[in-house]
Amino acid sequence: MLHIKPILSSLMRSKSSPILLLLQIILSVAIVANASFIIYERLSLMQRESGYAEAQILTFSVYNFDPAIDNIKQNEVDQLILRALPNVIDASSSNMLPLSDSGWMDRYVDGPNEDTAKSTPGFAFYLGNDHLLNVMGAKLVAGRNFNPDEINTNIDDPGMLAIVSQPLAKAFWGDESPLGKTMYQGTQTVTIIGVVDKLQGAWVDHENFEYSVIQNVDFGGSSSNKMYMVRALPEHIPALEEAIRSALHAENPNRVLDNFQTVAELKNLSYSNHRLMATVLSMMVVLLLLITALGLTGMVMFNIQRRTKQIGTRRALGARKRDIIQYFMVENYLICIVGGVIGGVLALVLGQQLMSLYSLPMVPVIYPIMSVIGLLVVTTLAVIVPATKAANISPAMATRSV
Amino acid sequence: MFFYYCDLAWRSIRKTPMLSMLMVLAISIGIGITITTLNVYKTMSYNPAGERSEVINSVQLWSQGLDTWDDFISNITYIDAMNLRNNQQLSLKAATFRTGLALQSDNPKIEPVLQSVRVTDRDFFRIFSVPFLYGSYWDASVDLRPAYQVVISQKLNLRFFEGKNSVGKTVFLDRKPYQIVGVIDHWNPQPKYYDPLNGAFNDAEEIFIPFSLTAQEEFDVWGNTSGWKFEPMITYSDRLASEKVWIQFWTELNSEDEKQHYQSWLTRYVEQQRAIGRFTDTAKSAAEAVQISDIDKWLEDNNVVPQDNKILVGLSLLFLSVCLVNILGLLLTKFLKRAPEVGVRRAIGASRGQIFSQYMVEVGMIGFIGGLVGLLWAWGSLTALHSYFSMDQSVTGLDASMWVITPLIAISTAVLAGIYPAWVVCRTKPSVYLKAQ
Repeated sequence: MLHIKPILSSLMRSKSSPILLLLQIILSVAIVANASFIIYERLSLMQRESGYAEAQILTFSVYNFDPAIDNIKQNEVDQLILRALPNVIDASSSNMLPLSDSGWMDRYVDGPNEDTAKSTPGFAFYLGNDHLLNVMGAKLVAGRNFNPDEINTNIDDPGMLAIVSQPLAKAFWGDESPLGKTMYQGTQTVTIIGVVDKLQGAWVDHENFEYSVIQNVDFGGSSSNKMYMVRALPEHIPALEEAIRSALHAENPNRVLDNFQTVAELKNLSYSNHRLMATVLSMMVVLLLLITALGLTGMVMFNIQRRTKQIGTRRALGARKRDIIQYFMVENYLICIVGGVIGGVLALVLGQQLMSLYSLPMVPVIYPIMSVIGLLVVTTLAVIVPATKAANISPAMATRSV
Repeated sequence: MFFYYCDLAWRSIRKTPMLSMLMVLAISIGIGITITTLNVYKTMSYNPAGERSEVINSVQLWSQGLDTWDDFISNITYIDAMNLRNNQQLSLKAATFRTGLALQSDNPKIEPVLQSVRVTDRDFFRIFSVPFLYGSYWDASVDLRPAYQVVISQKLNLRFFEGKNSVGKTVFLDRKPYQIVGVIDHWNPQPKYYDPLNGAFNDAEEIFIPFSLTAQEEFDVWGNTSGWKFEPMITYSDRLASEKVWIQFWTELNSEDEKQHYQSWLTRYVEQQRAIGRFTDTAKSAAEAVQISDIDKWLEDNNVVPQDNKILVGLSLLFLSVCLVNILGLLLTKFLKRAPEVGVRRAIGASRGQIFSQYMVEVGMIGFIGGLVGLLWAWGSLTALHSYFSMDQSVTGLDASMWVITPLIAISTAVLAGIYPAWVVCRTKPSVYLKAQ
């Protein structure tokens, strides 16, 4: 029905251009499959929920260089000022900023004896007061927040409490509830009082990115270098920077306020390499398909010109227009499918190389298959225009000498 | 003859504008992508130390406990840094880390700014061949007995002292007066090879102060501090006495001999430290617990060139090969179409060689135009990388070598694609086409 045999024999007669086409299809499938897999991976990294009210949190740093400043007092006064500013929902000090690519990482052990105790995986270690959870916009799923009278000023104070992220709780305690458990850091004990459903750390590429802990320390008091997070509605954020600057400088001018950024901006910056990779690869895929399609169109057009006489003769002998179109389509599909199979294998080999060289995950088989299907669609579009033109060749052409 | 072929090629290119444009497009896009990724790769993998790459060495020590870290860490502890600084065998040595301080001057009009500051020893300037505009580094005695002296960049000198010689003048760091002893001329190595740990393409610091001040001034650490066991870190002296690593140590080793010598000194040092109960992971022998890295190794270990970039270079080369096959097909198409014309030319006396070179000139011309357009693409995409992905200017500037590499790749790609079609067409038998006409 599809008349594959005459098509094959005509392909065999002039081998060079179908072979070139085949080669191009093979390479394209290999590239497109691997590139789209990497793109998919990067996009899914970027789409993870962070657990923060990203666009509502404005972060900044304060550096007090006046030796007369009492850091602990200043920190309390500053936070009261921040919370009293118009449009501010809440404010808190912190030791590190979410998704910022820098911060503290630590671990707990489950017993006082260092040699026998089991250690939790490493987690992002946030230090903050009772306002921090509200500023972050994190959702408590079990237990409670810190009470205002439970906040410590130093990291070696007794009475440490911790709120952990759900993924960390799952990883260490499994289905058991972590609430009320006592953990250790050296000789210091920490009691777990709450669980939040999601709270990412600072390093977007770290394997423990979802593991976080907040401990009840108002860290802004412990050194002259402080970080604050202020929550406000996104429409109020732009005006907030100036308001914060003037309010804090009015309190004490001997300090440098810097690095005003929302968590959304920090996130954007942290993922910029992944976004870059996804963009560059997407452009590569699009351009590759474009070039393949244009090249194919050019070649089919040439073939049609060369075969004008034959096409005319076929039409004169009773072939319908759709027979002519079908001829070119089937010819294309034959090459595409053969090239697709070889290209798919090559894609997997290439994927394996990338996996062993750069510790990338292996390309799933669905990617080469999807690439072949994509190429079939693109090449169909590329062939159909010249093939329709060919079908319009009048049978009279056959009798005319060229 | 060459110019005649050029003329013929140009006519031929203009005769089939769509096909020619298609070929130029294919080759230029392939070139554009390849040059973009190559350019980023090349600037990232550049070694600013040049011929001093093997002379400048950093030291890493296996100071961790059993079952903690699997690799050498780039930084060392304060205790080790102090011990290595005191080793009199080395001619040049410098411990260094980054901090931040509020900078003020006598000029009340300039607001205080928080500046990134490098804390280091005087040999740092000699090891890294830092050029001076005025004055010089501080005296050797300052590395032993702390003094409030500072070296600033010419940029700061311009801002605070209108570019005049400021040696002997004072700036205030965290409200303490520091005396300026030297002003650095333009110096901003990219990658920032002396400290790639916090952004390999950040700008060099503008202020340098003596490492010997660390204990009394308690400078914040603006870099990584890593620990492998729980230690209280309440006061600054806790930090100084801890096993936490946060300092880079550099030295100059001029020969393989000196390197060997230093290696064995370090081995003895590790044994000595083990004897007093430090360096508790004894799974490695004392000699293995020492690592001396020259700049090549150091840049490699600190992943200055991201993995993504290597993948992109590989994929873009594959992309270029697709373009090559594509052009090959198009050229074959185009040349075969002109077989009758070639038949006539052959019949009236053109040799195969002449036909072949005529077509190769045409192919080379397409390659050249494609290369130029490709360079435009590359320039455009690098500019886009800079503005939309906040990639550093130093990485996205078009490297000078690309002006040579681009046309070279472009023409060789085109020639590679053109040889077969030109060969096919020059073998045209004149008789066939003469008959048909």
